[in-house]
Amino acid sequence: MKKLTTAMALALLAGPALAEDKIVIEFAYPYSHLFDVTYEKILPKFYEAHPNIEVKMRATYESYEDGTNTILREAVAGTLPDVTMQGLNRQAILVEKGIAKSLEPFIAEEADFAKDGYHKAMLDLGTFDGDVHGLPFSISLPVGYYNMETMAKAGYTTENLPTTWEDVIQACVELKEAGVDNPVFWGWNITGNWFLQALMWSQDKPTVMGTDFTLDEPEGLTALNTMHDIFRGCDMQNLEWKAALASFAAGDVGMMFWSTSAVGAVERSMGDFTLVTNEFPGLTNNGPMGLPAGGNSAMLVSTSEDPAELDAAWKWLKFITSGEGAADVARTTGYMPPNQAANEIILADFYAENPTKATAVRQLPLLREWQAYPGDNGLAATQVIYDALEGIVTGEFDDMEELQQELSEEVQDLLPTGS
Amino acid sequence: MSDLTRSTDRSYAPTDGLVLRFSTREAMKHAVLILGAMVVLLPFYVMVSYSLKAPAEIMQQTGGFLGSQEPFRDDFCIKLGNAVEDCMVNPIVYNYTTAFEKAPLVRYLLNGVIVTVSIFLIQVIVALPCAYALAKLKFWGREAVFGLVLFCLLIPVHAIALPLYIMLAKLGLTNSYAALIIPWTISVFGIFLMRQFFMTVPDDLIDAARMDGMSEYSIVWNVMLPTAIPALMAFGIFSVVAHWNDYFWPRIVITGNRDLFTPPLGLREFKGDADGDNFGPMMATACIIVTPLIVAFLLAQRRFIEGITLSGMK
Repeated sequence: MKKLTTAMALALLAGPALAEDKIVIEFAYPYSHLFDVTYEKILPKFYEAHPNIEVKMRATYESYEDGTNTILREAVAGTLPDVTMQGLNRQAILVEKGIAKSLEPFIAEEADFAKDGYHKAMLDLGTFDGDVHGLPFSISLPVGYYNMETMAKAGYTTENLPTTWEDVIQACVELKEAGVDNPVFWGWNITGNWFLQALMWSQDKPTVMGTDFTLDEPEGLTALNTMHDIFRGCDMQNLEWKAALASFAAGDVGMMFWSTSAVGAVERSMGDFTLVTNEFPGLTNNGPMGLPAGGNSAMLVSTSEDPAELDAAWKWLKFITSGEGAADVARTTGYMPPNQAANEIILADFYAENPTKATAVRQLPLLREWQAYPGDNGLAATQVIYDALEGIVTGEFDDMEELQQELSEEVQDLLPTGS
Repeated sequence: MSDLTRSTDRSYAPTDGLVLRFSTREAMKHAVLILGAMVVLLPFYVMVSYSLKAPAEIMQQTGGFLGSQEPFRDDFCIKLGNAVEDCMVNPIVYNYTTAFEKAPLVRYLLNGVIVTVSIFLIQVIVALPCAYALAKLKFWGREAVFGLVLFCLLIPVHAIALPLYIMLAKLGLTNSYAALIIPWTISVFGIFLMRQFFMTVPDDLIDAARMDGMSEYSIVWNVMLPTAIPALMAFGIFSVVAHWNDYFWPRIVITGNRDLFTPPLGLREFKGDADGDNFGPMMATACIIVTPLIVAFLLAQRRFIEGITLSGMK
């Protein structure tokens, strides 16, 4: 009798699962602290639209670098997920190694792909060798954060915030005279030499062209000199991430140049002052000519041969990067979706209510690639540049021409030769 | 030489009653020790303090040790579409409940117990007979085998992590308890430590056991094991602490299912790097992770020191 009941119970449990025949896709993403809430919002909507697909969340990556490492390991072990979120500057290596699959066959079957808001600048960020391999999911751009009470001490209002780096240095001097010890923090230490690339793109110059590291060109010297002037002219302290965000939140720092993605964290932790974000300053009055996009991108790394499973993975990929799915990125994080339709239609009211998050959207036309250093020494090159930039902050390097020469030689040696 | 002996003699000379004497040397020693203790304890202070405070207080470095304990607004709750009034939370409650809910810490703690206990038990099963053979049995190549044991002590885990990972992957064992346990089952440190201890056990004891007709295995488990309890305790603490706190290896092999996380991996749920970490729940998690270890150490403190002295690790 007991056996019979157990058997019946088992049959009951197994029943619905067999009847629906759900397709399970596995999915992994970085930074659960930031994105858990996003997926918690997206998942119910996705299940409503696609009741026969189940998304299984894997262990999250602790950072973008960890995400890339994990995928590389899993590729060897044969335990890849179906869809993975990768840092925008870490996509290339997965494409080079043939782990990430081309999305072109799926795009070809979509009738209204452009209408869904996938425009060229967005697709360019995930295009390698002419094929789209990644769909950007959450995008950040560098912006200026201002503590308006501190800025007011030197007579600044929302009307006359600095628009060039010269203005910023001028503001530093005035703030110092007004008794602000620590007027600025400039995020040179953000991963992937993001801010160096920001200064290069500001002059419309890519940091890497093919396998050529372009810091040895005149634009490189301008970028280094600009950094040197900011760090020296503002007497900037060498703070690590946590300390930088903490001193801005505490109201010690007047201006912080950082990623827009931290808006949420700053608003959550800041003291009693007015926060305003404004466009990233440029080298001339016209502002920057381009800025590198940070954030992550969805890539298809499934090893499945089953068309139904691949199709399910594509549906998930498309759902989170367009329409309501994309809009939830902006609603739940400091990032913005690069999707035009989501930003301009669904989120129009949202940005009106959240002006601190709207700055980055205004900068969207400047969107450029966050470049990876090609070859196996990409991470080493990142570190060499990081060390050099730190040397400028600490005052170890004062002769920028000499640094430009040494650094470009050292980095160029790490990059593959030829072509 | 004679000078040295005399000065030592004087310091051990019996004193009449309790004389309170100020000694510069002793004071210096204590000052250095207190300084060292402060350096060690400061991170603990920060950890406990952060686990009690609200995010704004943590970032602005205000509120002292306890924080003001005023309710603050949980933004993630609001983003999920709840009303502001429902999202006001007390810092301590928020930090600790988030630690248990967002990172299912109970599950992680259970995993931690399963993994560390399994590792320790298997290590003992392997190490005791090995150590006994190396210490008390005479066989050809014994010194060479012991040399190999010492050599293995020199290999850092990180150097062989990838080959190990690939081996486990080929066996299809990644993302399982087995992956967390198997690489650690043979502890050369354990073999070495137990061998040093067994060297001090008199041969007569073993000879007596042999004369009574005990087999070698029986000697290991019924004679050597009971004498080795203090040394095993010491080894147990090393082993359990190392694998309870291990972040590196679980992070490498557990990439699929979050349910297999060990407690330290729970910390990563609150990382945001350039976008701001969630320090409150992160430090609450850290507090919960270290508590069992600290309690165990306090309970077994004497045994622990005994074990270290006994096993020749002085």
